[in-house]
Amino acid sequence: MFGEDDLVRQHQERADIISNIIVISFAIILARLWYLQIYHGKMFFNYSLENRLRKDIVRAPRGMIFSRNNVLLTHNVPRFDAIITPQYFDSPEETIPYLAQILDLAPETIYKTLKRYQGQAKYLPIVIKKNISRREVAVIETEANRLSGVTVETFISREYTDKDTGAHLLGYISEISQEKIPRFRDRDKYDYRQGDFIGQSGIEQQYDLDIRGEDGYQFMEVDARGRARRHVSSDELYSGIDNKRPQPGKNVRLTIDRDVQLAAKKAMEGKDGAAVAIDVDSGEVIAMLSTPAFDPANFSTGISSNYWGELIMDEKHPLRDRSIQEHYSPGSTFKTLTAIAALETGIITEKTQFVCGGTYRMGSRTFHCWKKEGHGVVDVYRSLRESCDVFYYNIGNRLDIDVLHKYATMFGMGKRLGIVLPRETSGLIPNREWKKEHTGQEWQKGETISCVIGQSFVNVTPLQLASFYATLANEGKLYRPHVVKELFSSTGQVVKRFSPELIKQFKLSKKTSDIIRQSLFDVVNTQGGTAIALKGVGLQMAGKTGTAQVVSFSADKIFNKCENQEYKFRHHALFAGFAPAANPKIAVAVVVEHGCHGGSAAGPVAKAMVAAYMNKYYSKYQAKIISQDKMSYDQILEDNRLNPVPMELENTDTTYFDETGKLIKNYLLGKTGVVQEMEGD
Amino acid sequence: MLNFREQLKRYDYSFFGICSVIFFIGILNLYSATHSQGVGPEEGLYKSQLVWFFLSWTCGIMVSFIQPKNFFRLAYPAYLASITFLIVVLIVGHSALGGQRWIGFGSIRFQPSEVTKIAIVLVLARWFSKAAPDQETGFRGMIIPFILSFIPALMIIIQPDLGTGMLVLLIFLFITFYRKLKIKTIIILGMFGIVGALVVYNFGLRDYQKKRITTFMDPEYDSKGSGYNAIQSKIAIGSGQFVGKGFRRSSQGALNYLPENHTDFIFSIFNEEHGFVGSLFLIALYLSLFYRLLWLASNVNKMFDSIVVIGVLAIFFGHTVVNMSMVSGLMPIVGVPLPLMSYGGSNLVTFGICCGIVTSISNARTLF
Repeated sequence: MFGEDDLVRQHQERADIISNIIVISFAIILARLWYLQIYHGKMFFNYSLENRLRKDIVRAPRGMIFSRNNVLLTHNVPRFDAIITPQYFDSPEETIPYLAQILDLAPETIYKTLKRYQGQAKYLPIVIKKNISRREVAVIETEANRLSGVTVETFISREYTDKDTGAHLLGYISEISQEKIPRFRDRDKYDYRQGDFIGQSGIEQQYDLDIRGEDGYQFMEVDARGRARRHVSSDELYSGIDNKRPQPGKNVRLTIDRDVQLAAKKAMEGKDGAAVAIDVDSGEVIAMLSTPAFDPANFSTGISSNYWGELIMDEKHPLRDRSIQEHYSPGSTFKTLTAIAALETGIITEKTQFVCGGTYRMGSRTFHCWKKEGHGVVDVYRSLRESCDVFYYNIGNRLDIDVLHKYATMFGMGKRLGIVLPRETSGLIPNREWKKEHTGQEWQKGETISCVIGQSFVNVTPLQLASFYATLANEGKLYRPHVVKELFSSTGQVVKRFSPELIKQFKLSKKTSDIIRQSLFDVVNTQGGTAIALKGVGLQMAGKTGTAQVVSFSADKIFNKCENQEYKFRHHALFAGFAPAANPKIAVAVVVEHGCHGGSAAGPVAKAMVAAYMNKYYSKYQAKIISQDKMSYDQILEDNRLNPVPMELENTDTTYFDETGKLIKNYLLGKTGVVQEMEGD
Repeated sequence: MLNFREQLKRYDYSFFGICSVIFFIGILNLYSATHSQGVGPEEGLYKSQLVWFFLSWTCGIMVSFIQPKNFFRLAYPAYLASITFLIVVLIVGHSALGGQRWIGFGSIRFQPSEVTKIAIVLVLARWFSKAAPDQETGFRGMIIPFILSFIPALMIIIQPDLGTGMLVLLIFLFITFYRKLKIKTIIILGMFGIVGALVVYNFGLRDYQKKRITTFMDPEYDSKGSGYNAIQSKIAIGSGQFVGKGFRRSSQGALNYLPENHTDFIFSIFNEEHGFVGSLFLIALYLSLFYRLLWLASNVNKMFDSIVVIGVLAIFFGHTVVNMSMVSGLMPIVGVPLPLMSYGGSNLVTFGICCGIVTSISNARTLF
């Protein structure tokens, strides 16, 4: 028998063969190294020294963003930087003064810049002057012989047609931070590189992967000084190397209408807040604005740290999109919902009347109506028209908070609507469960009384508010608001189309619906309504004003004039509504922070948006509305039934005229995907 | 029972010794590759590599105090565990460089295919060590070991990590060959292998894997630029000439002509900076390690130990030869690191554990 060590010994033969395999393998490798390093060493050494291949990234142009009528909102403009690559920069004493002369800089400035980057790798380029003119570019290129090591680098920067208008929605792009590269690579399965620009908010962020396109590359043969000699295509050594053309990013067509947006912007001048307009029949967002805003173009050209610091430190948070990332107490605009809940559950009927004496007592607490002397006898129509608080305190005493929660949720409040944009907030509609969970305390009856008038815990985003009124206007169809109509390629083919998405549908009783619609019509169109000032020829708006307390005042201060308060204690002003009342097409919501009065601060913004929209899309229909201007709501309904006018979009053209008949300067997307600038005559 | 001092006296320092010398050269080279001509973006890598070194050596030294009979016992559990990890990585692994190779535990990332190499060695050693004394291995004897190696190899290939998958199969061939695979069988298998390779190439490989192979066979065929790495690597090696350009003087790496110059292409940088002389020295070090292993394999008492040592040799040898061949243009570029030289935590741990295993076997050899 063999012992185990004999067995091992028996394998000696194989071990010897393995030994030979090892020897032969390394002999081959050494032979190869000898061939490369000794036999061809000189050749490869020269290659490495003289004949260098450089792989230049060719950046893909970012997709452009257009309004719903193909008005160009965001596009790319080339920008040129003068750079020095220290590795190839061999005669600074002569070059720097000459370069300084070309770029109109002091030579010391260039020395200083170079000194600052002394520590980094010599092959990394140093930017000497950003955004140089085309003339400077031309001089540098023609004088290349006297400027070894100096080159011009082309960047693509982003330009936003309307500067800060809609900046939050469009978003901005900026250079990806180095720490984030690995995480983003994992997340997006995209090979981000240092120096890449990525979308950081709004559409630019949300659709970044579609908009960014795919970078290409191009091999350049460079000489020992780093100057490009020629594009590499085929060569004995470089055979098999090819360039890759960049794939331009997809273009985005928004649902936003630029004119409505601009109208809102103009009306919001000097006010802080948000304005949203939604297409009632599809959930398409027609305008979405938040102020104060910022100029997104400043980010893509390499933002100065000053500007960034100012934005961050600004108490008003200009970077925050107030239309979806901020929530507000809806104030009286929420009474519409309370009325619906009360009518639907039978707590009140059309005939129910309460007496408003200016105050409402519950236990030891006194709740005030905004009108100190009271409204007298009030029914549901009047309660909405004149925004009587005491009427709603009475409802609040009878209405369960969970019922209110159910109706508010039904209309899309208290939850994210799921608009495809970053960082939407949910707002808050309280119920018993929520209170228990977050404060550990039971729900108090008095809290319902604050909630029914849209104060206390109730918070909604301006988008939710607009969506609520849109759902009211279309009789129970809650659409998911969306801002993008379609993505299309640089050659004009539509790659993805976003159609309206119904979140849910429900039915309100006809009676309730009629009462609410008539009341909201009266708010704007009859004497005594809180927004009668908004009555406009050819608008036929229906809506509700709101004033939301920012802080609660002691009883003696409640009736102080709002304008006399310190700015940050003034009430927020709100307006929400839809138009035209009899045949709603657009729903709007406006919040003006510390604007004091819904009717006078927020209302005009809503009116401006509705006017811009109606003038542009339904100008023929407006004639009919104007003729109905003296009628009551019932007469309007009757008139519409007898002489229906088809509500068709009249203006789908890409060109249009303003009120004075002047062709507005317009960018058109040609069939080839090339943007042409059109000039009015 | 021996006391600890005597244990240390018998301790075989050669494996850790040689490996430490190679690693020392490696860390200098890594420093150079990431620091040539100023500060590059990867300047901190050598520090984390040092951390990994100490971690791996600690693991390895701990392993070296385990009795070899316990490796025998651990063979199947280790194998099952590595298969489980491979399944997990296929399902939830993080994607790195286009492949599902990692599992993350908190901030630590772990590459199961590395552990698999060791597990395969142990399981094959256990299987073959119970064979009858002078029996040769024929087809029938190969079936089960083949299945044992092929399952993990396939799972690694579909990750996709062709290089490591092939290495696992190479370990299998090495061990089977050592365990007296009949010459007749080798010839027949070789023929099947060629046919199989053609089939796999045509139907089983992903595009970029195919591209690597075609690039190697015929650089002109390549039209997407994957020949670029191979060419730049050749330029780097060739330009080193006889004595090299000198420490931190690599231009190919510094100018980013060589991607991954700190991992797969570290040997190119070494050659560029230290030339033919440098690689002679480095290869001599590797050879001394391989011969020490081969000597050990023939001088142990137990068949299991002997096969394990051969398996460890296969791991080291496979990595070294494949890496050196691919960067010098003898083989397609398959992404296999150079042992102890390339940057990378998981594989350093593997080599540390391998050293521990063979040291343990060597120590036990002198015990009667």
